[in-house]
Amino acid sequence: MNRLVLKRLYSSLVVVLVLALLSACSKSNGGGNQGTPEASPSAAGSEPASHGKDPVELSLFIDAPWYPVKEWKGPVADKITEKTGVKLKVTIATDDKQLPLMIASGDLPDLVFTYANVDRLSDSKLSYPWNELIANYAPDFKIDKTRIAIHTMDDGNFYTVRNAFATQEEMAQNKYSLGNDGNPGIAVREDILKELGNPPLRTLDDFVKVLGRVKEKYPDMIPLTMDKDWMEQYFLQQSGVEGLLDGWYERDGKVDYVLRQPETLEYFKFMNSLYRSGFILAENFAYTNDQIDDQYATSGKAFAHSHTVSVADSDNIKVKNNGGSFTFKLLPSALSDKTVSVSSGLGFAGTFITKNNKDPEASIKFIQYLASEEGKKLTMFGVEGVHWTWNDEGYPNLKYDPSDSDFVNGNGIKWWYLYNDGVTEGMLSYVPGTQKTQALMERKAFTVYKPALGLIQTQPDSPEKTLKTKIDEMVKNEKVKIYLAKSEEEAVANYNNMLKNAEKLGLQKLVDWANETYQKKKDLFQ
Amino acid sequence: MEWNTAPANVRSTNGRQALFWKRFKKQKLLHLFVGLGIVFLLIFSYSPMFGILMAFKDYSISTGIQGIFTSEWVGLDHFKEFVNDYQFGTIVRNTLMLSFLKVLFTFPAPILLAILLNEAKNLRFKRFVQTVSYLPHFISWVVVVGISFSFFSVDIGVVNKALMGLGIIDKPLAILTSPNYFWGLSVGSAVWKEMGWWTIIFLAAIAGINPSLYEAAEMDGAGRLARIRHITFPGMKGTIVVVLILTIGSILGGGLVGSNFEQAFLFGNTINNPTSEIVQTYAFKVGLKDGRFSYAAAIDLIQSVISVILIFSSNFIAKRASGSSLF
Repeated sequence: MNRLVLKRLYSSLVVVLVLALLSACSKSNGGGNQGTPEASPSAAGSEPASHGKDPVELSLFIDAPWYPVKEWKGPVADKITEKTGVKLKVTIATDDKQLPLMIASGDLPDLVFTYANVDRLSDSKLSYPWNELIANYAPDFKIDKTRIAIHTMDDGNFYTVRNAFATQEEMAQNKYSLGNDGNPGIAVREDILKELGNPPLRTLDDFVKVLGRVKEKYPDMIPLTMDKDWMEQYFLQQSGVEGLLDGWYERDGKVDYVLRQPETLEYFKFMNSLYRSGFILAENFAYTNDQIDDQYATSGKAFAHSHTVSVADSDNIKVKNNGGSFTFKLLPSALSDKTVSVSSGLGFAGTFITKNNKDPEASIKFIQYLASEEGKKLTMFGVEGVHWTWNDEGYPNLKYDPSDSDFVNGNGIKWWYLYNDGVTEGMLSYVPGTQKTQALMERKAFTVYKPALGLIQTQPDSPEKTLKTKIDEMVKNEKVKIYLAKSEEEAVANYNNMLKNAEKLGLQKLVDWANETYQKKKDLFQ
Repeated sequence: MEWNTAPANVRSTNGRQALFWKRFKKQKLLHLFVGLGIVFLLIFSYSPMFGILMAFKDYSISTGIQGIFTSEWVGLDHFKEFVNDYQFGTIVRNTLMLSFLKVLFTFPAPILLAILLNEAKNLRFKRFVQTVSYLPHFISWVVVVGISFSFFSVDIGVVNKALMGLGIIDKPLAILTSPNYFWGLSVGSAVWKEMGWWTIIFLAAIAGINPSLYEAAEMDGAGRLARIRHITFPGMKGTIVVVLILTIGSILGGGLVGSNFEQAFLFGNTINNPTSEIVQTYAFKVGLKDGRFSYAAAIDLIQSVISVILIFSSNFIAKRASGSSLF
């Protein structure tokens, strides 16, 4: 080749490489900046909160991509700002890796609301301990002993208090407090049931038979569609499994991993049979979007819809708003004599005041307000007089349907529960005559409280945490092979293989540690 | 290229120095280019390398950057952990297979397209094909994966509907959600997306071939295929070797089309995980999601070492086999 050619060739090579480089750079820039909260310049210089002055603006990151409210607006948010002098600049996570990334890059906002990273943020390098802030700025902010004990880390501090928690006594004392949406439910099409001659739906077998008849008579319909986060819970409970697959169960004072509970295998066999009979789509296990199942259900392409206890009520509202004419009915909460629900919950999610917080005083006072009776009712039910009035029996008379998610989300009701409790939240479900209320009352009958199990929590960066994460990740990959096995023998083999993997990773070590922790901490509740 | 020719017989050091600066001044624009490149590499490639220390330490992100130096040494623990991981075999196999298949198909594709385009006589047609084939390069993978759902989904996918309609299959293919299709899907989409882009460079190489060679060959009675074989192809050989070496150096990232990570991450789901989990996605998961930076650093370091070995050996082989090489 002559020189001219070489020159031409290399210059074109250079151009291509530079272009490739530039496009790569722009890509990573776009990804890096996405959703990073920025401190607002106007808020940085403002005074601490007090009435009559401009509100302090704090940035809040909500570590839940599905979160239904995305902005600090609406009557509830306005009222909270009016009462506290705090305004929030809200960022919703784009996925479950965003918060870990923010921790890694040191880009934390003023406040973080999370359920998946509670233990990681409970770290004095990342967050302010609430006990210090309370002692310094809000000495009259009283939190009860149980809640403090639950959240106290090995360093003696507590960094958050989760919402949605109530002790068994608290629940027992408040008969109108029923529980919340964090309970599973399955809704089925009422009109189709009627066309099938209203077959009985009292056992799991009945349900499976109905699914079979639906598949036969309506071959274009998907018999059962499942929300990506609510595929397992309902059937786990019907099979008698006492927790989620990454949880603990207790027998005779000893703790073991739910994966090893004998009923778990029965559960897997059942789920696999649903798949082999063609009642659920394989694709369902790959959904990354929690709207797909809703669309199937509300557009009339699915017979049954698995989600929370409010699924029937909220689907019906959506269908009606879309101009549809069919309705959904909730399956009974218990479809077998084995049904069990163990409540070992320590609550749902907690708010952290990060070390980057520009006004810790305003932040802890903001939380103190949310924790007051007035604050709890305002966040949970809405503005008094406008959205509800108090019934002297001990519950709110709501002027709206709490299952009407468009109304609830539009007004910012419930979702600003950065601090709240299970009792107040449980009352939001008490609407006589709704399907959800009935289901939750049924559920109270077979719910067992074992909050001490919830205290088996791994500390951040501990070897147990690493071990548990590895086992849970493995289960996440392997369980799909059980669900989608081509025969029951294959399902059982895959289950045994999963257990073997867990043992190899060190499950026994984890169980030993859990028992030790459990023995140490269970007295907290006695 | 007169700046390359150094005058002979320089005697005194002084004179040599003066000459050096004179030459430097003459080439200052070129030095500026090189300098910028070096600064770029120093900042973005060399300076972050101290983070490799993490792979041999028990590092926790909450200790900040200085934690990289202060945390405890653990030797090769993280490396051992990865090698003993229950998924180690699968992950490594997936990474190698995906990389190998991609190079196998995405490397020859642009060469073939360039030769085909070169043979096309209709200029308009040639320009049209070239534009259409390189446009997908500018769509990001996120968008490609999004689009692929409307094409390949079991329920609403156009491809499944068409195949069912034609009676070729009687059950929809779970292209997006089956471990059996993941490699094909990745290689196919990579070829579609990047073939046209890399054709440009090979077309440039072909453009550099002296037209008189073709005329002479035609006079001697060489047909089209003979001309491709004896003129076009040898004319491209230098470029092909350079691109091939670069490809093999980055083979674990997907070769010249890159995108192993993007594809495994975006096309990957819990169902096709047995074939879609690769080293990079695994490192990403344990590193960022679980916050185990030391472990993730160790995993990536293993991959980098393999890449370095590959680039040196491919360079060596290229030198032996064809005489041309990168360094």
